[in-house]
Amino acid sequence: MRKWMVIAVPYVWMLLFFLIPFLIVFKISLSESEISIPPYTPVFDLTAGWETIKTQLGQLDFEKYHFIFSDELYTAAYWSSIKIAAVSTFITLLIAYPLAYGMARAPKEWQPTLMMFVILPFWTSFLIRVYAWIGILKNEGLLNALLLNLGVISEPLTIMNTTTAVYIGIVYSYLPFMVLPLYASLEKIDGRLLEAAEDLGSPPWKTFWQVTFPLSIPGIVAGCFLVFIPAVGEFVIPDILGGSETLMIGKTLWSEFFNNRDWPVASAVAVLLLLILIVPIVAFQWAQQRSREAGR
Amino acid sequence: MTISPAINGTASGTASQDRRLRTAAPQSGFAPWKDPAKKPIIRFEGVTKRFGDFVAVNNITLDIYEREFFALLGPSGCGKTTLLRMLAGFERPSEGRILVEGKDITDLAPYERSNINMMFQSYALFPHMTVERNVGFGLRQEGMPNDQIKLRVDEAMALVELGKFSHRKPHQLSGGQQQRVALARAIAKKPRLMLLDEPLGALDKKLRNQAQFELMRIQEQTGTTFVIVTHDQEEAMTVASRIAVMNQGTLEQVSTPGEIYETPQTRYVAQFIGDVNIMEGKVVSLPGDGTVDITPASGDGRIFKAGACQGLVVGQQVWLSVRPEKFRISLEQPQSTINVVKGRVDDVGYLGSISHYHVHTEAGNRVTALRANSSQSVERSISWDDTVWLEWPADAGVVLTA
Repeated sequence: MRKWMVIAVPYVWMLLFFLIPFLIVFKISLSESEISIPPYTPVFDLTAGWETIKTQLGQLDFEKYHFIFSDELYTAAYWSSIKIAAVSTFITLLIAYPLAYGMARAPKEWQPTLMMFVILPFWTSFLIRVYAWIGILKNEGLLNALLLNLGVISEPLTIMNTTTAVYIGIVYSYLPFMVLPLYASLEKIDGRLLEAAEDLGSPPWKTFWQVTFPLSIPGIVAGCFLVFIPAVGEFVIPDILGGSETLMIGKTLWSEFFNNRDWPVASAVAVLLLLILIVPIVAFQWAQQRSREAGR
Repeated sequence: MTISPAINGTASGTASQDRRLRTAAPQSGFAPWKDPAKKPIIRFEGVTKRFGDFVAVNNITLDIYEREFFALLGPSGCGKTTLLRMLAGFERPSEGRILVEGKDITDLAPYERSNINMMFQSYALFPHMTVERNVGFGLRQEGMPNDQIKLRVDEAMALVELGKFSHRKPHQLSGGQQQRVALARAIAKKPRLMLLDEPLGALDKKLRNQAQFELMRIQEQTGTTFVIVTHDQEEAMTVASRIAVMNQGTLEQVSTPGEIYETPQTRYVAQFIGDVNIMEGKVVSLPGDGTVDITPASGDGRIFKAGACQGLVVGQQVWLSVRPEKFRISLEQPQSTINVVKGRVDDVGYLGSISHYHVHTEAGNRVTALRANSSQSVERSISWDDTVWLEWPADAGVVLTA
């Protein structure tokens, strides 16, 4: 009996906080928009009896989805989001790998401190950290002031309100999510494997590509998913740093909800975003499962 | 094992030539270390290794010859692994140099030492590669063509009798199979020198014995010089042509297994290899016939006789060591009065093929004696509280000066 309850806890949690909200959003996405409170119809009235609900169910349709697919704005936003997320994931990986490698190779007594430095930014609100980048990136900001003073550039660079600023923001914000799994997998590699490779005639740089890198792939995979999945739906960073120039699905979603007050379309956008992300999420689970089974 | 500073009696010692004959190594005839014209394959010259304040290896000079199966034996922390790792190139000596085939390799990186390969403790197999790719790893580094690699890998796998596993990953193999893969990987490059760091430590006892003989077979078949690090004295005795017993970074003794066992040079070696009874005493006289008379330090005036070693002087402090199996234990008083002690049996340990007897001697010491149970209790068996006599030939006692 008690065992059953323990098992039930996560399922009840998922039901209450994921599945039911999702079904509500899904239902809204099948409704019609209307200027009222709430701004859609039909609104289910569970006290009205089965017959009424049956009629209301008949009013639901997939028209909004059809609309999304026929309007290029949405497809462009999805593609652009996926592209921005993919490119920033790759840049994050390039920066995080040397960091994690250095951490894993640092003296054991240093590693907790270095780990602290990676986690330290989390002590400040995410929103404040993203806002801080405005001060750095704007035309009269710190970065331009520095580069002008050094004589690297003669005119301030326009970074704010461009996609570049979004890349910088995403890479900066999600870097720890890449560093930590990479560090975990690099730190686990048995030093004797590297010695064995060297003993068999492989110089250190070749050993890196033949032993260290392949053994860190589970960390790379985990880190990439942990950055890519939230980055696709990112709203705050493109909104604050990207200005009107950046097209991302998170922003589109937000403006459908709050500017157009078209809840059904916004819900349909959200459901489609979820469907798009299910692919990498399932792939991530599968990869995790596989690396666990390989016993690494 | 048991320490006994007082035994009883005297004996006419046979000289040490006798002992040498008896202890000739099993592979008699193979003794390049006795041939002054022979050049060693490995030479350590005054090698010292310090880690901070800790001296892991202290000024070691040692020659190892071609085709030897050389064992570095000692407890953990004695410096044996550090010595091996310096040979592989993973540690650099703080002082001294290492020569392999006359060439100074002290400053070469591990990957530049192409004629030396190592089999690692716990094997260090690459988990992301199949058995085949593991074994071929060293050959791929040389840029050998694939078809040749295939042949050499097959050859190495056949040598270690590991056939049908080439496409498996290491984690799909048993411990014994992994050990073979590790051996095949190291031997595939046909090194001149093979280093083995506790190669059989992870195997259970039965498998280990079998693997020891296999190592010897492979060593003989390939003609490679093997240097093995082990803390298991039985393993070293079984496989090695010579053993270096190490203690706190220094070499205590470098000899054949037979010599190490029969004529240890120090108490440390005597106690590390097998069981031994040791008595502290003083040299009373040197009759000049190759024997020495010793009186126990406890000062009861009895005299024991043993084979003399070089450089003894009258009055010198020495230790007499006698192996448990050298005693003849009997319920009747022997006729001889030389090297005989009387005592009472404290404890009997019956191990099937042999029995251990812990004897409390008249002088108040505990001595361990050992007897093979060759007959099925035809004679009355010795039991607790029996009065017994222990007798041993003079040449069974070894005089130690350190």
